[in-house]
Amino acid sequence: MIDKRLLELGIELPEAAAPAANYVPWVITGNLVFVSGQITFWNGELKYLGKVGADLSVEDGQAAARICALNIIAQVKSACGGDLDKVVHCVKLGAFVNATPDFTDMPKVANGASDVLVEVFGDKGKHARFAVAAPSLPLGVGVEVDAVFEIA
Amino acid sequence: MASTTHPRLETLGIVLPDPMPPAANYVPWTIAGSLLHVAGQGPVENGAIKCTGRVGAEVSVKTAIAAARLTGLNLLSQVMDALDGDLDRVARVVKLGGFVQCGPDFTDHPKVINGASDLMVEVFGEVGRHARFAAGAPALPFATSVEIDGIFEIY
Repeated sequence: MIDKRLLELGIELPEAAAPAANYVPWVITGNLVFVSGQITFWNGELKYLGKVGADLSVEDGQAAARICALNIIAQVKSACGGDLDKVVHCVKLGAFVNATPDFTDMPKVANGASDVLVEVFGDKGKHARFAVAAPSLPLGVGVEVDAVFEIA
Repeated sequence: MASTTHPRLETLGIVLPDPMPPAANYVPWTIAGSLLHVAGQGPVENGAIKCTGRVGAEVSVKTAIAAARLTGLNLLSQVMDALDGDLDRVARVVKLGGFVQCGPDFTDHPKVINGASDLMVEVFGEVGRHARFAAGAPALPFATSVEIDGIFEIY
């Protein structure tokens, strides 16, 4: 069902990237999947490097957040053995925006991630979240987002 | 106070600091079902803060990795306190949330937080491999260079 919706929406998922250290992209505990912070990788290529409010516009930031969320969905798919219909609910997103000190539109940027989750999962995609600024982020990316999902 | 030693730690020659009391109206850990949530810890050794300042400026990445490891030891100290000294009740390290105090040009946050991630795998093996985030912060409580919180699945 969700795969069909992705197709209808014309949304392509990136490859689920593996981290290069002593942590893993996701952990399942009980009925919860904890997804590691995802950045703006698109099939091995880094997109949207820089700071929102300086190098990146709010729209760029939203596009970056959307890529982070698509990486999250790719990781959840991998955690569910390829079956996104197992998703019961997106519980929580944590969004970090690489921003200039005077930037205040973090929620608007994080909406790029929130919106795609609702596009894909409907009401099941509506989640709790935080959206904060960071002075810098890993590899200089514009946005990083982590997540918790409930699965069947 | 719960024991701060365990055969697994003794084998590795790891000595845990005493668990720090929280600084305000919150608690160092809570248990909800099978999940143990540990409040954000810092690089503190028996009451003394060991690493302050911005990584990449006043603090080198190497020093910050050591601070992240010490922060990880403080997480384990709280886990020991929560589990009455029985680290074998840890079923899985689920998640670490790593904050690195740094300036606008810093990009090595993952390398810094590896100090804590590596410790978890050293102590728990495969079940020590966790989900995590690593992000920058312009300032952290008491000016520590690193702050990490954790979620553990317990028996």
